[in-house]
Amino acid sequence: MEAEADKPSHLAVIVDLSPTQWYLSAQASNPYPLSIESFLSQILAFLNAHIATKNENTLAVFGAFPGKSVMLYASTETLVDEPPPLDANSYPPFKMVDTTVTQRIFRELDTIDPGDEPPCALVGALTKALCYINRITLPSISTSVAEGSTNVPDPRILILSVSPDLSSSYIPIMNAIFSAQKLKVTIDVCKIYGPDTVFLQQAAHLTNGSYIFLERRDALLQYLIMSFLPPPSVRKVLAVPRQDKIDFRAACFCHKNIVDIGFVCSVCLSIFCQPVPVCSTCRTKFPIKALQRLKSACPSPAPATPRPLANLNNAVPRTTEATNHGTPGLR
Amino acid sequence: MDVDSDSDISLFGDEDPRAKGKGKGKASERPRKGKAKRKAKEQAYTWEASYTRSWDTVQEDETGSLQGSVEDLMARGRRRRLLAPASAIRRTIIRHLVLILDLSNSMMDRDFRPTRFDLALRYAREFVAEWFDQNPLGQIGVVGMRSGLGERVGEMSGNPQDVLRSLSDRAKLEPAGEPSLQNAIEMARGNMSHLPTQSSREILIIYGSLTTCDPGNIHETLEVCVKSRIRISIIALAAEMKICRELSDKTGGKFGVAMNEGHFKDLLFELVPPPVQQATIRNAGSGSGNPPADLMMMGFPTRLPDTSTPSLCACHSDMKSEGFLCPRCMAKVCDVPTDCDICGLMIVSSPHLARSYHHLFPVKPYEAVASLDDTSQSASACHACARPFPAAPSSGVVTEGISPLGRYRCPDCHHDFCTECDVFVHDVVHCCPGCGK
Repeated sequence: MEAEADKPSHLAVIVDLSPTQWYLSAQASNPYPLSIESFLSQILAFLNAHIATKNENTLAVFGAFPGKSVMLYASTETLVDEPPPLDANSYPPFKMVDTTVTQRIFRELDTIDPGDEPPCALVGALTKALCYINRITLPSISTSVAEGSTNVPDPRILILSVSPDLSSSYIPIMNAIFSAQKLKVTIDVCKIYGPDTVFLQQAAHLTNGSYIFLERRDALLQYLIMSFLPPPSVRKVLAVPRQDKIDFRAACFCHKNIVDIGFVCSVCLSIFCQPVPVCSTCRTKFPIKALQRLKSACPSPAPATPRPLANLNNAVPRTTEATNHGTPGLR
Repeated sequence: MDVDSDSDISLFGDEDPRAKGKGKGKASERPRKGKAKRKAKEQAYTWEASYTRSWDTVQEDETGSLQGSVEDLMARGRRRRLLAPASAIRRTIIRHLVLILDLSNSMMDRDFRPTRFDLALRYAREFVAEWFDQNPLGQIGVVGMRSGLGERVGEMSGNPQDVLRSLSDRAKLEPAGEPSLQNAIEMARGNMSHLPTQSSREILIIYGSLTTCDPGNIHETLEVCVKSRIRISIIALAAEMKICRELSDKTGGKFGVAMNEGHFKDLLFELVPPPVQQATIRNAGSGSGNPPADLMMMGFPTRLPDTSTPSLCACHSDMKSEGFLCPRCMAKVCDVPTDCDICGLMIVSSPHLARSYHHLFPVKPYEAVASLDDTSQSASACHACARPFPAAPSSGVVTEGISPLGRYRCPDCHHDFCTECDVFVHDVVHCCPGCGK
């Protein structure tokens, strides 16, 4: 246990930087408005804390911007042209992280087209983080001197999310989750603004991470330090809040709805929200009989309009109630 | 070449000084294409054709070092799999497999270290873990061949832990007596007879002996297996047996003789990815023989936390707090995937299904970048892991999709990736970091 706890850890932070969502989050009508400026200063304090915990700890920061993902900081790379000037009042590594991250965020935000905003490239950032983890954990000839030792850091990923679920990215996100499982990477999720995201809940659950919905957003730094700073090996002995309920719903392939009862093609396992005569993925034709049987068995006609994602929250309490007085197993 | 493929000596290269006299008559009779001549010149005997002359392909660089060649070979090996044909093939996703282990005396031979039995058992465990990783909806049963009988070692189960537990106790599986192929195959067939038509039925036999003692005619068993579309794959540890070859050939399975420990593992793990669906091989092209497909109704449950109020589960009537809720009737079940005990709905967790989606939507293969001339501005580091690209080309030759610059470009988003990320993206992540697709 001690040897395990002594290992250095690698933290990859993925910051969701969708301008629209951050604008909405800063609105004074929210119970606890959180602006991006105060968010950044709190997150920088958290990053500094991670570096300060152990000398060998490494850090990578990725930003998910609309339609594009960018590496903002990595311990092994120099991403800014000139190093920040030395300042007697600050510790150089902290200063390095702070200036690199802020400079690069502002550079990217300046290039954003103020017109149409494409959805945030969370998947890109997540895959990049995994590729980077793959690079530093694989002993390779071409890697830089920093990883010369056998002491491979313990990797984990922290996603700070403000955007709602993007159902078109269901498959890429699931693929990323499975590769994280293979690499034994823990994915933690902190939902700062917006409704719960089903996909990120599953990500945290499948990789043994924790999913935390931020209730008091003025206490962001406290949440971060108390629950996400200790590496997973230490967290076993701490009472880190885990998510209590996981929704295993999936997005259907036809309308990208999130469904709880779906129709699945036996050949390719594509999910549809209503019985279809031909599978759109593998072009298999289904027998008419099965279609009629399923149509009659269908509990309610499948909704013609896609069920909006925002309804997810309303749907959850329904299931809770059913549990409380549900002992249907008596036979 | 096919004309005298049966002859031992195929010498018709009359230009070859060493082949004087012998080949003259033949060469004058049959004028051949230059290609065939060159081939004949290199190999004196037809059996040599199956050997690759690995020493011919290695070339030293100007300093006499092999480092460059070795790295080149490694990169090529890693990329080879990626260059496999990307045409659409139909694979079976819901698989049922019976693993038949030879537990006869011949498994105690020490030609594989430590013994055939120990090695087979170890690889079988690794195989089961990997198999469930790639075929999450599949089920495995285990049968042993011992003392002339088929012995049920593990029931058909979709839970990797159950299967691994049945393989974990070495003392229970101690080899004894003679094996019986027929008995074991009949038992495996009985295990799978009730399965729905859209799932695949497979038998994998790890066979160490050179004999089998059967109560009846094994060819009848073979006929029945062919009829009920059971695919039999055999990995022999000793040598090839005619009946084994026939079993696998007629049922569409694979047959291999393990030459050494590494080769044994390779043969075994070749069977992990889902097989191409059998019906499409049999009547390729004819649309009438489409394998039965069906639309299945499935429910995606909600998982209850460990801290919720305890209640009785529908499957065992146990009082427990964690569990999964059927989305249709809200009954609580202990484990997924399963059929709901109340309403009969098939309950699976969506991650189970999602595990196989990368077979459906593979990442497009990256193109090897040959030169940087055609691009106006190129990134100095890998788009995914920010590893800097080598400045100068490593070797001048561009071969088999190996980029001399170590750059591989996504055809969709036109970002450059390094070799490691190229392999990692296609083998593990199945999602391009540039376009997120």
